[in-house]
Amino acid sequence: MRHSLRGSASLVLTVLVINLVALTVLPPSAAAATAATPPAAGDVGPTYAIRNCRIVPVAGPAIEKGAIIVRDGLIESLGPVEKTNIPDDAEIVEAEGLVAYPGLISAFSNLFLEQPARAAAGPGAPSEAPTQARTQEPEEDRFPPGPGLFVLDQLKPKKPTVESFHKAGFTTVLTAPARGIFEGQSVLLNLNGEPLRPMVIRNGAALHINFTTERGGYPSSLMGTIAHIRQSFMDAGYYADRQAQYAKGPAGLKRTEYDPRLEALVPFVRDRKPVVFQCNNVEDVKRALKIIAEFKLNAMLAGANEAWRAADVLKKSPVPLLVALDFRPPASSLYATQGEEARKKAEAEIYPANAANLAKEGIGFALVSGSNGDGAAFLKAVRAAIKAGLAEEDALKALTVQPARYLGVDKSLGTIEAGKIANIVLVKGGIFDDKAQVARVFVDGVLFKYAEVSK
Amino acid sequence: MRNAALPRFAVFALIAAAGLLPVFADGGDILIKNATILTVTKGVIPKGDILVVDGIIKEIGGTIAAPPGVRVVDAAGRFVLPGIIDSHTHIALAGTNEGSEAITPEADVGTVVNADDTAILTALSGGVTMVHTMHGSANPIGGPNVVLKTKWGRPSEDLVVKEALPTLKFALGENVKQSGRTVQPGQTQRYPATRMGANAIIRREFAKARNYMAQWDRYDQAAKAKNPPRTLVPPRKDLRLEVLAEVLRGERVARVHSYQATETLEFMELAKEFGFKIQCFEHIWEGYKIADEMAAAGIGISVFADSWAYKMEAAEGIAGMAGYCHNRGVLVSINSDSGERIRRLFNDAAKTMKYGGLSEEEALKLVTINPAIQLGVDRIVGSLEAGKQGDIAIFSEHPMSAYTRCDMTIIEGDVYFDREALVKEREQAEAEAAKKAAAPRDKGGVS
Repeated sequence: MRHSLRGSASLVLTVLVINLVALTVLPPSAAAATAATPPAAGDVGPTYAIRNCRIVPVAGPAIEKGAIIVRDGLIESLGPVEKTNIPDDAEIVEAEGLVAYPGLISAFSNLFLEQPARAAAGPGAPSEAPTQARTQEPEEDRFPPGPGLFVLDQLKPKKPTVESFHKAGFTTVLTAPARGIFEGQSVLLNLNGEPLRPMVIRNGAALHINFTTERGGYPSSLMGTIAHIRQSFMDAGYYADRQAQYAKGPAGLKRTEYDPRLEALVPFVRDRKPVVFQCNNVEDVKRALKIIAEFKLNAMLAGANEAWRAADVLKKSPVPLLVALDFRPPASSLYATQGEEARKKAEAEIYPANAANLAKEGIGFALVSGSNGDGAAFLKAVRAAIKAGLAEEDALKALTVQPARYLGVDKSLGTIEAGKIANIVLVKGGIFDDKAQVARVFVDGVLFKYAEVSK
Repeated sequence: MRNAALPRFAVFALIAAAGLLPVFADGGDILIKNATILTVTKGVIPKGDILVVDGIIKEIGGTIAAPPGVRVVDAAGRFVLPGIIDSHTHIALAGTNEGSEAITPEADVGTVVNADDTAILTALSGGVTMVHTMHGSANPIGGPNVVLKTKWGRPSEDLVVKEALPTLKFALGENVKQSGRTVQPGQTQRYPATRMGANAIIRREFAKARNYMAQWDRYDQAAKAKNPPRTLVPPRKDLRLEVLAEVLRGERVARVHSYQATETLEFMELAKEFGFKIQCFEHIWEGYKIADEMAAAGIGISVFADSWAYKMEAAEGIAGMAGYCHNRGVLVSINSDSGERIRRLFNDAAKTMKYGGLSEEEALKLVTINPAIQLGVDRIVGSLEAGKQGDIAIFSEHPMSAYTRCDMTIIEGDVYFDREALVKEREQAEAEAAKKAAAPRDKGGVS
């Protein structure tokens, strides 16, 4: 062994800092070529040789005793250990007894989001009761925060959260906003440390929509919300058409008044940028599908913990599902309105089988952490879904290749393959075993050490 | 108080079945024998059979032989009637009012159907097979309503009755002017605050809708030209005005929550002015004052049998209202407006015999064929006739008797409610629970 296992995240960061310092003494011309946050010019990330582990690449069959070469943040090569050349400059990561998986991806989370999600309004106001008139609010506050919001601007990464997700095997999360109807746009992050910018894989990953109501104003009901969503997409399409017409020949045409809300929506109605609908019960799934069909959106459904109940319609109009493993029956569900005994029974026996039922029906899905900010708790929920009938292989795919495909990053993430981003977790035991322990995590080739590796 | 008296064990059975299909479904075929059949439109058959095949009533008459494999229900000594129809309720919805603004015809209750609402099961227990589930009365123009069958356990899309007449909820009076509400600091009083304001804002919206239609007509005309001008711009599509345009085109009818005679007459004038159709006034406790006007205009009413005077504008209600209006030629239905009263609409209809002088046959019409006509579905339901859908209720006594109860409710030949089976199930569940409770614990607890 040429190096000891000192190559931890902190060491890498130290190296980066040193390089940043070095950059300042470079001639101005070299620095001028770089962006606002200059990459450490001339710096190359470390090289690692992970060896003697079992490799589950997900892309193909497992390699029983293998080696993975990680260079400068990417996977350089992998194969059986005896056929792999360990480069001279590689730091050896001895991984005997460990299993290497692609870093898990949660394609929907609220990680690092400071602002707590607001509870949706409950159904069923009495028919004769006049509702409260809305309080007077400035116009621009009526649809906070709107489709133009980038959640990235609200995030505050915290080390314990990163560690909690690493320890559950996650290297990548999509973080979505959680307030309002048009909640804003999410960001796809690689959990490679604490500073936010190096984490960003894609900002504006998707537009997020929730079937909720607005504080004190219109819409104050679910049906109003649905109308508001439809009218907004209609208006955005109209806005885009008018702009196109104007661009073609402005003579004789009045220009369209600038509207930041509609402007932000245009790419989603015209250029098929992805839209994610939060679906809290079986009916939400159907409501979303109708809107998706009406506006021909490129959409996904998140939450979807009653998706199995909509299997028939989902088979007719397939749409990627981001299934949050929240087993609590939604408030409107018949499983929740029949007393505590029935509700508990449903939570313990019926809802955990959602994913298994979807798999049985041949409906594709990714498993996502959703609002669950605790990695261990989420992994526990995955185990519950497996106990309820979900095949481990399907669970693994639903946390790796499937979300990578849904998010359009399957060429760089989701499997252990040469050329892909070095997001790898090394686990003592199978990743879904009750006693699984994550020992090492690579994110963008940055090594994080957790449980001690027994030799 | 919704769901209080619910036979909850049916739900347990459904949970156990996991598939959520009705436990008692028979594939749309059923033969009911030896019953007193109240056809509503074709008289009473004192002792007869009724055969439903593929969800449609195939035959009604003396003795019908059971086709092979068809479930036979012996209803000797019992009464068979068309499934009861509730012309005005709010069950099976996720939210009732879009009350934030005065005019919200874009807020369609058809988009928020919740098939999990246990009030559906409550309705079935009272022989109800169809409901007009409506937007609330919080604002002058609420939203489109939806007609559902009470197919408990079926996915929501299976409940929707597509043949029904599209309707739009309007409301007048105390609710829309928010008379019972104290304006809190920081809040504004929503316009309108008076009855004249309600009339004015509705007129204004219809005038807007008329302009909107004209705009589209001009555009469509211009777009049809051989070489439409390059600068031709279509109007913005507005969901709110689209719905009002449907009303103005006669494709959608008005259902109007209204109590007082004066503003009701004013609304009728408004409808005449804009040329739209009022299908029904709802509740309309002063309807007896304007019965002839309503009858002449072909406007029906959907009302409570009793329980007036619960607010000022209901103060002048009279017990004989429904019967009186019926006798004056108004198409009357008795509604529940509730997820609880919905299970005893037959009792409410029977009250018109005492307080309106109606016959048994007439009273039964108020919850069967009359609401069917109001909803535009009398071609398919509302009476027991060959060719109509097999929506049937079986009662232990005549449905207008105070001693009657619903034993079985059938929709399109499938049994959705079976009292005997439910009672048996409940007894089994109770016995099991008792056995479980009596069994000694295998592990001693720590105190």
